[in-house]
Amino acid sequence: MTDLDDFRASVRDWCREHVPAGWRQAQTGVSDDEFVRFQRSWFAELRQAGYAVPHWPREWGGGMSTAEQAVLYSELAAHDAPRLVLAFVAIHHAAATLLAAGTDEQRRRHLPAILDGEIWVQGFSEPEAGSDLASLRTTARREGEAYLVNGQKVWASGAMHADWCLLLARTDPGAPKRHGISYFLLDMRTPGIDVRPIRQATGESHFCEIFLRDVVVPASQLVGPENEGWRVAQQTLAAERGMTMLELAERLGQAGFRWLVETCRRPGPGGRRPVDDDAVAGRLAELETEITGLRALCRGLVDRHGEGPADASIVKLYYSELLQRMTDFGAEVAGLAAHAELAKPASSGWESGAWVLDFIGSWEWTIPGGTSEIQRTIIGERGLGLPRGA
Amino acid sequence: MSEEIRDELRAVARDLLGQAPPGREADWRRLAGAGWLGLEVPGALDGEDATFAETAVIAAELGRAAAASPYLGTVVLGAGTLNLLEPVPGRDELLRDIANGQAVVTVALPDGDADGTVALPDHDADGTVPYGDDGGTVPFRLERRAGQPDGFQLHGQAAFIPDAAEAGHLLLLARDPDGTPVIAVIGPGEAGLSVTPQPVLDQTRRLALVTANGVGVSADAVWRFADEPQACVRRLLDRAAVAVACDSLGVAGAMLDATVGYARIREQFGRPIGSFQAVKHACADMLVQVSVARELVAAAAQRLAEDAPGDPATSVAASMAKSYAGAAAVDVAGKAMQLHGGMGYTWEAGIHVFLKRAALNRSLAGSPAAHRRRLAERYRAG
Repeated sequence: MTDLDDFRASVRDWCREHVPAGWRQAQTGVSDDEFVRFQRSWFAELRQAGYAVPHWPREWGGGMSTAEQAVLYSELAAHDAPRLVLAFVAIHHAAATLLAAGTDEQRRRHLPAILDGEIWVQGFSEPEAGSDLASLRTTARREGEAYLVNGQKVWASGAMHADWCLLLARTDPGAPKRHGISYFLLDMRTPGIDVRPIRQATGESHFCEIFLRDVVVPASQLVGPENEGWRVAQQTLAAERGMTMLELAERLGQAGFRWLVETCRRPGPGGRRPVDDDAVAGRLAELETEITGLRALCRGLVDRHGEGPADASIVKLYYSELLQRMTDFGAEVAGLAAHAELAKPASSGWESGAWVLDFIGSWEWTIPGGTSEIQRTIIGERGLGLPRGA
Repeated sequence: MSEEIRDELRAVARDLLGQAPPGREADWRRLAGAGWLGLEVPGALDGEDATFAETAVIAAELGRAAAASPYLGTVVLGAGTLNLLEPVPGRDELLRDIANGQAVVTVALPDGDADGTVALPDHDADGTVPYGDDGGTVPFRLERRAGQPDGFQLHGQAAFIPDAAEAGHLLLLARDPDGTPVIAVIGPGEAGLSVTPQPVLDQTRRLALVTANGVGVSADAVWRFADEPQACVRRLLDRAAVAVACDSLGVAGAMLDATVGYARIREQFGRPIGSFQAVKHACADMLVQVSVARELVAAAAQRLAEDAPGDPATSVAASMAKSYAGAAAVDVAGKAMQLHGGMGYTWEAGIHVFLKRAALNRSLAGSPAAHRRRLAERYRAG
């Protein structure tokens, strides 16, 4: 038995003992407060086992190899473990930013706090700055030892629960648009912040608008040099993409595809199982093949630290569209019964098995974080060296 | 061999094979001189002691160059088969001749579109083995010759066998009178054997129909698998599938590069066409498909290099690689023709060579549908 087999066995044992029985039913249709409570308690359990932040450096509480992370995520998914939804931005985006560009003091202040449950939100997009993120208008004006921030952010997922925000704001209105942006850590308890949830296509409301009026941010909360925020954001976003994708790809394979096969084995109204239809079986084989390819791509991305200039975009694009194809197929096969599932379990993945809701929710992957169209442009220009458009 | 050595092998092969225009005959003696024909032949027999992972590198580069050669029949299938057999007189000699470039070999395997099950059929009441009612998966059968205890007669037929018309040795998968899959080794001129070329639209591949109508076979020309025969046949089918998947990956890579190169320089409306989003996004999709195919093919090649015959995970990986890469290469080559515009449709431009090869590859060694059917068996149980 290799070390990796030993590790897999220990994760399995842990999952059998710790994944709360029946959580999917218990968390379906729950209040926001209950969702937050459940997320916090699950995060604490994972942290105690050393499974919460496997991708962080060892000195901060992580230190797992890519192969170990893949095993961990794969086993968590195979045992239907809840996902870390609330802590997602904190353990991935915030941590990657602090590790790559933060000061020692910022790291010491926030990384242990994240392990203790500090929640983060991303404040990047704006009503007039979506795909063209660099045209953002929120301003941060230097006043002595602080900045005065004014503007509006949108699509800030989970902002109503957040303690801190990763904020991009314009510090030099006269500079070309990518050169006048700075990156800040914003304490969400600061006066002048107003958070309003937006109801999404699925009926849920975890996306928010954030209104910022004369919000004071101490200069010590700047990440990287002033006016270098765009570069910091680009670097850290690409670096953390592989990490988040590793988990999501294992989920797609170990949880999502397994549920899809189960759905296809369930006899329909006429007693026929969809899986006995050759067309259905062929689609399943095609999806399993694509998921296998995605998982290999993700491991490669993490192992090679995003060596190709567009590797992260390839993985994001492929994952999003594969998720959409898979949930679309799930919705088609599951039929009318899936339309009667009006809520999916909170804390579940993007492929919860409530296929119609999962399908509608899949646009949450093809649109944010750079739309599929933007990703294709990046792949064409940075990955293949094709000329920029007019 | 390590990943770095494979990268080096790839670079050298790309350079050497790239010297001839696409679609030409590869220089067999130079392939032998480079050691690429004996990659999996033992060192004691003038081979390289390498694995299928290295054979896969050459297979992909032959696809990238759309080179014509008897590599599939001789190296992928021929040496692959011989390595799975019990060591008997003649076997080692043939392996050495393959490594040295002196022997061209082919192997007649079950049709890749049949499900590839090689389960033993039930014997008839009179003790003969029926042929053809088990899906026709094993193409030939050996019958005992009356009055000649050592000899057999070979019957059967296999279509679209790569490199059969030029092979000096035909390794024909047959059932012996007990129903066990064995290899009958036949020379091309034997009485009762006919090898009829089957010209195909892809001019870079040579396929033939092999028919045996009572060919006399002596007992020492019946070679047995060293391991469990079913597992060995499955292994050969998987080798064929993954080698063709490698070829498709090579074709797709060549077409992506050609298209990107063209889109950078070809101007319309006063701009390079690669600056138009419709063209750029199509190229991006090609790169994604090639990237996924590369991962699946690498994983399958690695399993063939490391796993013992009979591991079902190897066959799963092989079917995934073949079904995905086989289909993706047709998409990519088709998109290449589209994005090259009217020029791409001309004979002279040569895109058609790759498109035809990609389309033939898709059908060789099992169609995507056949491989998906095999994968799907796993979902139905339970």
